[in-house]
Amino acid sequence: MTKTLERPELREDSATASRLDTPWVTLVWNDPVNLMSYVSYVFRSYFGFSKEEADRRMLQVHNDGRAVVATGSREQMEVHVEAMHDFGLWATLQQVDA
Amino acid sequence: MIPFARDESRVIRASLTSPESALIGSLAGQIAGMLGELIEVPRFDDPDAAALFASVGIGGSSALHDDPAIARLLPNAYADDEAARDFRRLTERSLATRKVENARIVIQSLESADTAGGELALDDAEAQAWLRSLADIRLTIAARLGIEADGDEGRDDDASLALRDVYDWLAWVTDSLIDAIEGEPVEAIEESSP
Repeated sequence: MTKTLERPELREDSATASRLDTPWVTLVWNDPVNLMSYVSYVFRSYFGFSKEEADRRMLQVHNDGRAVVATGSREQMEVHVEAMHDFGLWATLQQVDA
Repeated sequence: MIPFARDESRVIRASLTSPESALIGSLAGQIAGMLGELIEVPRFDDPDAAALFASVGIGGSSALHDDPAIARLLPNAYADDEAARDFRRLTERSLATRKVENARIVIQSLESADTAGGELALDDAEAQAWLRSLADIRLTIAARLGIEADGDEGRDDDASLALRDVYDWLAWVTDSLIDAIEGEPVEAIEESSP
């Protein structure tokens, strides 16, 4: 299980990162503070997921340490990450591995 | 505290004792104070420049904060250091400003409740500010308690144990608020039952 203040170790391939046609993802990371009910609520209310889908991704965060919650352009993912930070969720964006 | 519930006019209501109201108000004030220091606008000789600077919200710091609570409230958006720094410069002030504003909404609604016998009444926007601010408060307490991983209990001196009780109580308050936000008006449920 991921620790809150541990820095996520993501592979960043500079050749991949420069490719404009590769989509970006928003990741939400596990933390020991936010309630499972709250994380699921945020996924439902912000991303419009069904109860089942929100719970599935919330459990993925809880069990795997992280989950992808959105895919799209870098600009779109930056908006989502800021929104997650508004909610107090720990989120990052990164380019999908080629 | 009587937990949150929606009434027939869709107002979200709860009833707080005076110590409960003072506690949440104090914690929200600490969030506003802690983050407020980060968003004070630098001095400009030209008032137009100062206004422009404030309006765009640019000018955040370039690195994750040393204070673990602030670092958690204003986390890096990228694993890559350079990308994280650039994004932080552009967005940190506006993120911190929104969090301060949420805390202020909590404080204002508690002040209104204090003049209404502890009866808290929130519209949907205020309820969203409460939800976000409760999360910020709990993240800050967790950082102070040293709760960093699932299962951490935090420090166990007397002061920390008291703070841990507050932390757990605020979890209950949060759950209550989520239920009220997503739930049907209480009276309507009673009317629809046979």
